[in-house]
Order: sequence, then C-alpha cells, then structure tokens
Amino acid sequence: MLVLGIETSCDETSAALVADGRTVLSNVIANQLELHRKYGGVVPEIAARRHTELIGYVINEALDTGGKNLRDVEAVAVTAKQGLVGSLLVGVAAAKTLSYALRVPLIGVHHIEGHIFANLLSNPDIPLPHVCLTVSGGHTLLVYIRGYCQYELLGGTVDDAAGEAFDKIAKFLDLGFPGGPVIDRLATQGDRKAFNFPRPLSKAKTFYFSFSGLKTAVINAFKNQLASGEALPLEDIAASFQEAVVDVLVAKTMRAARQREVSAVSVTGGVSANRRLREMFTDTCNRGGIKVYFPDLSLCTDNAAMIAAAGHARLMRGQSDDLSLDVIPNVPLEVQHAG
Amino acid sequence: MLVLGIDTSSYANAIGVVDDGRVLADFVFETRHESLSKIMLNVDGVLKKANLGLEDIDGFGVGLGPGSWTGIRIGVTVGKIFAYCTGKPVKGISTLEVLAYGARDCQTLICPIVDAGARETIYAAFYRSGNDKVHQVGDYYVGDLPGLAEMIKEPVVLVAADVPKYRNVIGQLLKSNTIEALESAPSGVVVALLAAASLQSGEHDDTLALAPLYLKESTAKAFVNKYLKRNQAAQQG
Ligand SMILES: [Zn+2]
Repeated sequence: MLVLGIETSCDETSAALVADGRTVLSNVIANQLELHRKYGGVVPEIAARRHTELIGYVINEALDTGGKNLRDVEAVAVTAKQGLVGSLLVGVAAAKTLSYALRVPLIGVHHIEGHIFANLLSNPDIPLPHVCLTVSGGHTLLVYIRGYCQYELLGGTVDDAAGEAFDKIAKFLDLGFPGGPVIDRLATQGDRKAFNFPRPLSKAKTFYFSFSGLKTAVINAFKNQLASGEALPLEDIAASFQEAVVDVLVAKTMRAARQREVSAVSVTGGVSANRRLREMFTDTCNRGGIKVYFPDLSLCTDNAAMIAAAGHARLMRGQSDDLSLDVIPNVPLEVQHAG
Repeated sequence: MLVLGIDTSSYANAIGVVDDGRVLADFVFETRHESLSKIMLNVDGVLKKANLGLEDIDGFGVGLGPGSWTGIRIGVTVGKIFAYCTGKPVKGISTLEVLAYGARDCQTLICPIVDAGARETIYAAFYRSGNDKVHQVGDYYVGDLPGLAEMIKEPVVLVAADVPKYRNVIGQLLKSNTIEALESAPSGVVVALLAAASLQSGEHDDTLALAPLYLKESTAKAFVNKYLKRNQAAQQG
C-alpha cells in the first residue's frame, strides 16, 4: 500500500511516499531555516505563509522522486495534532483535498507518533515493548510503547523542551539558530567537565524533565565569566551544558527502562541526531545490557515519511478520518491500553 | 466551461459553480473557526446539489484575499491541490475585485474595503466599471481611513461587509454626500465568474505557485515585530 505523507506542523514543509509502511520511496523536506534564522526562532505567520507557497511543490517533488504519479497513491496521512495551528492547517487542507479528489482514505496523525515511527522505519526489528524518548525543539517526552499504536505516557518536560534549551542557550551565546547543531559542533572542542551545571530532576523518581533552571545556570556562569575578565571558554560552556542535558535524558530514560523491565530503548526527534547523546546512550545501554535504537539521521528532524508510516499503521488497524478532520495544536499523544 | 469558485477570506466557506456565465450554485456557509473542518464537506455538498462530480469541473477560481489570512490559506491550498489533482487550470482572484464586481452597475468610482485585522488598518483599491466588468485603477491601498479619504476626489461607491462604519467616517472626513455605500461580502460564485472569464481567454495561474495576495510585506513584519517584542519581554521577565 502506497501512502503519501504530509508534515507541516512547524517550519519544515515535507511530503513523502512510503510503501507498506516500511519502504521510503521519497522524503522531500523543504527547510525554512533561512527565513527564521534572523529571528532566532520560528515565526508562526512566516511559517504558515511559506507552507502555503511550498506545499504543492513538495507534494509534486515527492511523487517525482518516488517515481509514482497521483493515481498510485492509496492513502494520505497528515500531521493534524500537535504543532503551530497556522502551519498544521495548510498540510491538513492539502491532505483532505487530495483524499477527496483521489478518493483515498485520509488519516490524521499525531506529530509525536510520527517521531516514534521514524525509529520503527529505520529499525523494523526493534523489540516491543520498549521505552521511547522523543527529544526535539518542541518536545521532550518519555513513552512506554506496548505495541504499535499502543502508548503509555511516562513523563514530559515541565518547562522547556530539550531542543528548546539548546536553541535558547545558542541564542544567548549568539551562536545562531537552530542551537542543537552549533552546540554539538562547538562542544567537540570543549571540556565537558569545565562547568558543573545542575542536572534538574535527575534524581527524582518521576519521569518529568525541567531545563529552565539549567538554562539560568548556564547564563549565570557566562555572566560571571564575563565579569571576571577572563577569556570566555565558549567551547567549554557548550560542552558542559550539552553534557548536563544529555546526562538527564539518559538517566531518566534508563530509569524508565529498568522500571518497565524492557530490553530496549529508542531515541527519536531532532535532538536524537546529537552526537554526544548517541554516544552516551550507546555506552550506558551497552553497560546495562539494553539495546538502543536511533532513527537514520535523515528521519530525526520533522519529515513526512514518519507521518506516512504512522498513518499506514493506523490504517492497518482500521482507523481513518473523514473529511471533517481538523487540526488540534495542543493535545497529548492518544493513549491506548491493551485489553 | 464549468468553473468551481472558492473564497474563504471572511471565515465563511463561499462556494459557487458557474457554466459559461450561468450560475449553477451559489452558497455562503457561515463557518467562523470551522472553515477547515467544513470546507471539503461544503464543496462536496455544493457539487452534489448541482448534480456534478469533481471530474466535471473544467477549472477553478480561488479568492486570494486580502482578508483573514488563515482562512485564505485554506482556500488557496484547496484550490491549488484541486487543480493539481485534476490537471485543470486555476485562477486566483483578488477579494477586492470580487467586492468591486458587486458594484459594476455604478458609474462612479468604486472603492472596495476590507478590514486588515490590525487596529485602524484597512485594505482598499479603486475600480471603474465598463463592459460588465470592473477594472482596477491605481495600486492597492494599505493604511488608515483618513489616508484613504484623502485619495477620494470624486463621487464614490464604497463596497464592504461592514459598510456603514466606513461610510460614516469617510463621509465626515470629506464632508461630502457624494458617497454611496454598498454592502457586500466575498462570494464564491463571483470568484467563479471572474475566474471563468480569465480561463476562457486562456489566462491562468501557475498551479503550484498559487499564493495569497499579501498586499504588503509589512503585514508579515508587523507579526515579526510583535513576536520579537514578546520574546524580549519573556527574556527580561
Ligand atoms: Zn517534531
């Protein structure tokens, strides 16, 4: 079954073709970074405008590079939940028009479920159940995955998302936007132990995260350094900050894995491309006898292939939406308990 | 030539179908914030009432605004993807022209006005009628009402959804009674009629490039400034 996926929840305009929920035939991502960079963040009105301009082109490109035409499309999956409302509605308007014109099923997908499927697309043999950490500029979420489309929320962030903390620190240090890749790069030349930044909530028994205290600590350390008149070791600050974030993410995920007695964890979302995060997860999991899975780098950031894969799984379970499908900008991942 | 027209610039789904200038369907569904959830069901309903299928449609017309940009993005996306899926041409129509068309019987200057959402700001343009059509004279106007009043030097008919508001203000500013007022709202059937006229003469838009008629970059800049201010406040607070 050939599913056309569409993702426009934030600042990537993306369309993809995925066969049988497994094989990515195309995954076109039009990145709007250049437009938003000068504002140090995504400007919702600009994002919505750009999606409207790009949506037709990315769909056409997804079909072209996938070697298919419209008549081959058997279902349309679209991110309808979680994201910027003005951005989401462009994708959903396009998807329901395609569904109506081509007379194929329409499936609205929760953005986080898409990220979970990015990992399943890259690692089809990933064991179930397992614990999945979704980390990006918009989310930090621990989910227990009982089975396909069966989730239990374990915890999330009480303030900033992990990727958001990267963005804010990068913005404060004037390193550019988005913050993740710049800090990742800078940190490779720094000493991760130079500053002992706090690891908020890392000892707590719950699975909730908090990054705003850490952000304040980094900003204070920077200001103290500036006031002392010593050289500014930006690399050390970046490395130590990144170490603190990754430490907390790994500690919480491992705690969840042990509590749920799973043999595997997966990490997905934009921040899962971070090299130190992958390294520390791999080391810690190896020592603990737990398998760890990451998506291919091309599937870490927001993309439509993961939405097509999630939509396919929903459709195979008899779920689809009618033409009244609407966007819901802020809603938790739908939780389904087995039995 | 069967043309389907859609205008979602006013938080209504305005949908019409014409056949060579003959009106087959003309509906305005009040949708408020349900424009997205209702649009496809309303299109389907209108086509069925006209006893048509999507495959019968020879071309599409879309209201490009100005108006509610959120609403407009829905209509533009729907029209563009319809054209893409069916391989039929699409033509975007200025919502100001749609309003002006309602006053095409008037011999005076025609001035459609759309609220720009931001305080005191309006979008407007001037048209003259001739040969059962309206022709734009001069550029689009984005600004306040006094600024628009300054540009009016002759008898005029104002066309708007909330026209008494504009008539009173402009009338006072000009101290003139040479102002007519015509209440009108964006219309799918007028979009279809105007699009059909263009499509019949072989004039259409590039389907994939179809975009709303943003009259001024400053609209985006206003949003950006608001966003930057909010961000600064958040960082200081
Ligand atoms: Zn995401």
